[in-house]
Amino acid sequence: MKKVFGTITALALTASLLAGCGGASGNSTGSTAPAQGAAESTAAAAPAAVAAEDGLVRTAVLYDISTMDVAETSDNYLIPMNVFDRLFETRNVGGTAEVVKSLCEDYTVSEDGLTYDFTIKSGVVFSNGSELTASDVKYTFERLLRINHENTDIAREVVGGEALANGEADSLEGISVKDDTHLTVTLEKPNAGFLAELSSAAMGIVDAETMEKVSGFGKEPADTIGSGPYIVTEWVANDHYTLVYNDKYWGAEPSVKKLIVSIVPDANTQNLMFQNGELDLIDLQNLDSAIVQSSYAEAYKDQIVSTPKVGMTYLVLNNAHEYLKDVNVRKAIGMAINVDVLIDNLYSGNAVRENGIIPTGCWGHNDSLEGMKYDPAAAKELLAKSGYTDGQITFELALDSSANSTIQLVYESIRQSLNEIGIKAEVKSYDQSVWLDLRKSGEMDSFVARWGMDYNDPANIMATFFGGESQTKSRSINYPDTETMARVAAASSIVDDAERMTEYQNLEKKLIGEDAAWIPLYTELHQYCIGSRVASFTPQWAGFSDFYASDVVLK
Amino acid sequence: MTRSILQRLIQAVGVLLGVALLIFFMLRIVPGNPILTLMGEHADQATIDRMTAELGLDQPPLTQFIRYVAGAVRGDFGTSYTLGRPVSSLIGAAFGNTLKLAIMAALFAWIVGIVCGVIAAVKKNGIPDRIFMGLSLFGVSMPVFMVAMILQYVFAFYLHWLPISGGDNWKCYILPAIALGWNSAGSVSRLVRSTLIEILGEDYIDTARAKGRGRMGVIVLHALRNAMLPVVTMMAIQLSSLLSGAVITETIFSINGIGRLAVQAINGRDIPLLQGTALFSTFVVILGSLLADSLYGVLDPRTGKEA
Repeated sequence: MKKVFGTITALALTASLLAGCGGASGNSTGSTAPAQGAAESTAAAAPAAVAAEDGLVRTAVLYDISTMDVAETSDNYLIPMNVFDRLFETRNVGGTAEVVKSLCEDYTVSEDGLTYDFTIKSGVVFSNGSELTASDVKYTFERLLRINHENTDIAREVVGGEALANGEADSLEGISVKDDTHLTVTLEKPNAGFLAELSSAAMGIVDAETMEKVSGFGKEPADTIGSGPYIVTEWVANDHYTLVYNDKYWGAEPSVKKLIVSIVPDANTQNLMFQNGELDLIDLQNLDSAIVQSSYAEAYKDQIVSTPKVGMTYLVLNNAHEYLKDVNVRKAIGMAINVDVLIDNLYSGNAVRENGIIPTGCWGHNDSLEGMKYDPAAAKELLAKSGYTDGQITFELALDSSANSTIQLVYESIRQSLNEIGIKAEVKSYDQSVWLDLRKSGEMDSFVARWGMDYNDPANIMATFFGGESQTKSRSINYPDTETMARVAAASSIVDDAERMTEYQNLEKKLIGEDAAWIPLYTELHQYCIGSRVASFTPQWAGFSDFYASDVVLK
Repeated sequence: MTRSILQRLIQAVGVLLGVALLIFFMLRIVPGNPILTLMGEHADQATIDRMTAELGLDQPPLTQFIRYVAGAVRGDFGTSYTLGRPVSSLIGAAFGNTLKLAIMAALFAWIVGIVCGVIAAVKKNGIPDRIFMGLSLFGVSMPVFMVAMILQYVFAFYLHWLPISGGDNWKCYILPAIALGWNSAGSVSRLVRSTLIEILGEDYIDTARAKGRGRMGVIVLHALRNAMLPVVTMMAIQLSSLLSGAVITETIFSINGIGRLAVQAINGRDIPLLQGTALFSTFVVILGSLLADSLYGVLDPRTGKEA
């Protein structure tokens, strides 16, 4: 018996030793910083079952973040949005997206659209008390370029940006700091969407002084210092993270004093938690659409808030494919898909049909575009006109296996629609990394995907997909018209707003109306459901799910 | 016995190295670029190339493997691509949760399984036997996710007795432990019943009875101890399986354990994390089989001597 006990003890000790490894390195898997301006959060407390308290909002996400540093991620912006301030913010003002001043007190733009003079708000301090100055703005640009991982595109537009990113310069030539509150930014070429770009989550201003002292920025809450309305006090990997109100914040005091974001990977568990009162805010996109319809559409109809999730779900048809290179085939495919039925049946009407490239909710969106009308008979005629017979056209609809169940149904629906006009499309599922690799090679026949807008400017989508040969190839579009692509690339430099909008509208007519370069499908409505403790919530303008906690108002 | 364990430990090192080699090269043979998955939709080619170089994925596979093993020997299993933290600390933290869950699930499975198995054997063909065996069949055949969801709905959502998910409180582990141990309890009870029925028919049981041993004494001291030989083997394997992570249970109940970490690694094509969790699971399974062997030797001294 002693032997049994001995063996069990030995194994238990081994196990506890291993478990101890985690405990000993707790700082790297879940660390805490002293809370300011709000109650101290309890490390590793049951976040999912946290009792409601004054000023607290509890929400859940499906996946954990990888970092809080925008220099290392172009995803997961909830912490950057709430902990940092930008010169400008894009806010939902009365249902319209508007670029509004934030840290920027005032600005002027030169007539050629190249030089911006900014006046920074004085008296703003970071949550550690350090003063925010114009030098911090310059440092923020330079840091993105020196790290040169993610979100470098905006900083690269500044004169000397490329040189700094490539290690050929020590500082950013195009930004000159006059004093603590004034700086001048000079761009390589005019960009009418520059202010909108500055409002993107990636452009949060960091403290140069703090950054020189800390080593865990983006990983350790205590080192991740911003000037925004919240401080991140805790991040327990794969479990939860906590934000509390920053009492040194310069702006209006928000209703929410503490936000706990739990990592709950199972959608149904999130659903039960919300209905049980354990969550105050739920992103309905996390749930299966059937659950939303059965459990929320009626029972919570007064608590559902929605906004267009600004972005485009589109069908790509490889313009270099044996059959798909024929514009009549691409147009026929567009006419064979009944997008309205897709929206009604698969999204229960919670999506908006798109007819162009610039999505609903984005500046420059053209409501008057006619798009491709559903007309299978006319589609068949077009195919016959090109000399194709029933079943002759075949191609592959490549599905990313990590796509949600609704998108999988979209694929199936498209396959059936195409079958009805005599096109044999085969839905083939690929592991996500294989799918991405194949698409990047430019050899994917066809796929459905979604682009979420990072900032409120058409260039964010137009230039990404049709701004040049490499862009169109890397997404397997292979649009061949170099002249039109050159116009797309040049459009962002048109300084006059009206002129630029006209050009984008003409480009959409050319790309979609004439060339059917891709098939626009829809923009989903981003729905949230607020709990009984929440008085109101204004979802963020963006193509992603993160939101400003200050947009939640508690009862 | 000690020598045998030492031999097994030496073998274990070889197995771990083999598994590391296999996983390492399998992950590199399968098509697809993990950097594309990591960087997402918005990354440009220059960024992808830079990240590939920084993570050393542009190096020849053999160089990468040697670096990996050299790091692993020092306890450095690399940094997770998706969670951005050292794999060793992620596994360490997750294992603490998996350990709690596994121990509670195992205790539930063994206590319920042994008690039901003994009662069913003693009352063979009686009503308790039929009830318990029916329940055990239910336990063996019900998928874990179904049990988990039913428990969640009934005890957390409707009755509000226990939390729906997550947390550090022991109460948070009750439902996941039952969900996870449910299947094992069914297997244990069926094995205990069948083994015990066979042993209760042996001559030495009659001898013990003839010597005046009470019924309970005969069952517990003579029959059950011998019946436990195959059961212990099963229990040890179950424990090592539970300790290597319970993917579905951990996901449904939001427990940050080894299983959930492994799924995250697979979904995100997170090579360091996937290698780390796979190696760790192998280590735990080896440890479990060592435990089984050791206990077997103690319960049946003949086995120990042979070893």
